[in-house]
Amino acid sequence: MKLKKNIGSILLFLLPTLAGLFLFKLYPIFSALVQSLYTTQFFTGEKSFVGLQNYQSLFVDPVFWNSLKVTLVFNLIINPLQIVLAFALAMLLNTKIKRIAFFRGIHFVPVAVSVPTACVLWNIMLSPEQGVVNSILVALGLDPQPFLGSSTQALGSIIAIASWKGVGYWALFLLAGLQEIPGSLLEASSLDGASRWKQFIHVILPLMKRPLTFIVVAVTTANFLLFSPMYILTKGGPENSTNVLMLESFNNAFLYSDMGRSYAIMVILLLITLTVVALQFKWLRTSH
Amino acid sequence: MISKQPAKRFAAWCAPMLAATVLFTGCSQGAGTSADSLSSNGQGSSTPSAATEISFEAYSNYEKPLTKVVEAFEQQNPNIKVKMNLVPIDQLTETIEIKLSSKAKDLDVMFVDTPLVMNYSVKGYLEPLDSLIPADAKAKWTKSAVETVSYKDELMAAPMNSSSQVLYYNKDIFKKKGIPFPDADKRMTWEEVRDLAKQLTSDNVYGFSFEQVDKAYQLLALSDSLGAKMLSDDGLMSSGYSNSPEAVKAFQFYADLFNKDKVSPKIKKEESIDYFTSGKVAMFVSTNQNMPKIRDSGLNFGVTLHPYFAGQKVATPTGAWNVGISKYSEHKEASAKFIEFLTLGEGAKILFEEGGTLPPQIDLLNSIDTDPKYKQLPDNVIRIAAKESRETAVSRPKTPGYLEWEKNMNKAFEDMKNGADPQKALDDAVNVIDNQLKKYKGVAAN
Repeated sequence: MKLKKNIGSILLFLLPTLAGLFLFKLYPIFSALVQSLYTTQFFTGEKSFVGLQNYQSLFVDPVFWNSLKVTLVFNLIINPLQIVLAFALAMLLNTKIKRIAFFRGIHFVPVAVSVPTACVLWNIMLSPEQGVVNSILVALGLDPQPFLGSSTQALGSIIAIASWKGVGYWALFLLAGLQEIPGSLLEASSLDGASRWKQFIHVILPLMKRPLTFIVVAVTTANFLLFSPMYILTKGGPENSTNVLMLESFNNAFLYSDMGRSYAIMVILLLITLTVVALQFKWLRTSH
Repeated sequence: MISKQPAKRFAAWCAPMLAATVLFTGCSQGAGTSADSLSSNGQGSSTPSAATEISFEAYSNYEKPLTKVVEAFEQQNPNIKVKMNLVPIDQLTETIEIKLSSKAKDLDVMFVDTPLVMNYSVKGYLEPLDSLIPADAKAKWTKSAVETVSYKDELMAAPMNSSSQVLYYNKDIFKKKGIPFPDADKRMTWEEVRDLAKQLTSDNVYGFSFEQVDKAYQLLALSDSLGAKMLSDDGLMSSGYSNSPEAVKAFQFYADLFNKDKVSPKIKKEESIDYFTSGKVAMFVSTNQNMPKIRDSGLNFGVTLHPYFAGQKVATPTGAWNVGISKYSEHKEASAKFIEFLTLGEGAKILFEEGGTLPPQIDLLNSIDTDPKYKQLPDNVIRIAAKESRETAVSRPKTPGYLEWEKNMNKAFEDMKNGADPQKALDDAVNVIDNQLKKYKGVAAN
């Protein structure tokens, strides 16, 4: 009854959020769909309708296919890696030892650093010429590595940097979930003789389903749309080995002045992300 | 329903409304212009007392001389304010592209790289200057400078400076190794430079480095020396040109400096000048306008001519920054005034003297030839550059798709530095470039 009476003011309070959601999330998606069917004319700057031509030109372009491949490989590695690491970190941070608050503070430091700052920092540290990482490798008697300068190591380096930056953040949500698990449950299971591993599989994991679902979806979307490390560190190189779809879209829009094509890439990326997220929702619901 | 709400409740939902309003006005202001905010203050743009603010998108390396130019300009024109937005080179073309493709009005004057004049003209970014600046202006710049900023017989930008490259060397490193200094008037071959670089390379010191590592502007001097042409005559085909045998040979030399001869550090352009001024690099091919920086670093340095391949053509890089007015600018008159000051008036002199840049203005070029100041090191750098730009300079390829060509070539150069095979890197690049150039079919190069 009370809710019904207040529905007007509730809506009004939600208005800024709803307006923001529409303006900054739904409208751009709709606009991208429409714009991907147009191309911009030279000289006049007028837009003309070309139907699916932008998509057609993408499907015959090897650069686009390579970029799609890189995006998928990147996500296949980074998403499970970040989720497992974040979970492990959350478990560690949840242990009841002295000064745990100190460790919880430390793990949060990379999160507090902005992505561009983190990229610039790591770029210096991974520099093949005088980076500290190579100095350490050499001091240990190993060969110096090119890292971001090599087509076989660049994507891995970016995965490492992005995970260094991201894992602590995701662990925070999982830590909150872990703290919700009643201690009595764990106590009871250990009295029943459950090993730590069994406890984890049968008690902790089922209770963590909700935060895990959130993390899985959030990590996936964040990484599919990850752009700044590639833009700042490699610009898609060496030899297009880090040229993800987001970067290819950016290049089409602002280097090749082909907005329609750029929008088409965004629409494809959106569809891929939606599909993956939909599958994840399905799996997480049926399992356990 | 709202009218039935008590006053208290009214106040309660006012807050989010206010927040929303702030949000929206905040947005519209971001895309708006300084003129909007001026007129909303009750000061119409027609009121003479209101100062016009023009926004100037500039390359950050020019901060020092341009600040002086702007100061002098504002003193003479108290009703015009110039707001400089300094952007590093890698972001400059992107910033301009993003702003102009969205028809932003908060950009009035901008740096225009010579090969991009055509690209920007084709996209309709530039306001033709013929009616905005005096008719006799064209006669005050060198003919070649005027040609490079014209498209379809219209002046699209004003030439601000030109550039050339010289070979700087660190005298202390040469002395330490007991190697005689290069002759100031004798042009070395690239082969000699490489062999010398090998002798000069030791722990913590590299024998040689380009200033513009991985950048077409500088590396074209290698392929130009071997006579390689980068694009077809209509500027729409790179396959068979940018990856021709001569081009591959020229850039193999570049790749070898890093990977086979190991005389050059694998660094980025931004780091290169610091490597030279801090004594980590013995020989450094760099633009004339870096002389003030090198001089001020206190380095004991010498200068000689730009190298060439033995038995081949002498080719030196050239290219320049010009300034143009955005088609979407709402302050074209004020912008033109500033451009005139910067490229023809007192500003041109300030830029030349403070920045050590090569001027495209005929009277300033003449002063370099006659003023005895330019006979002695370090100021002789500018006289060498002026001579090279007249006699040996080769301009960059002419195409409406220069942006696409350059960005992909730069990527290929970077890959070669990191060990990629030049033939493969260039083959990959031309595939992408030709695909991108297709859209300019029907847009003539001349």
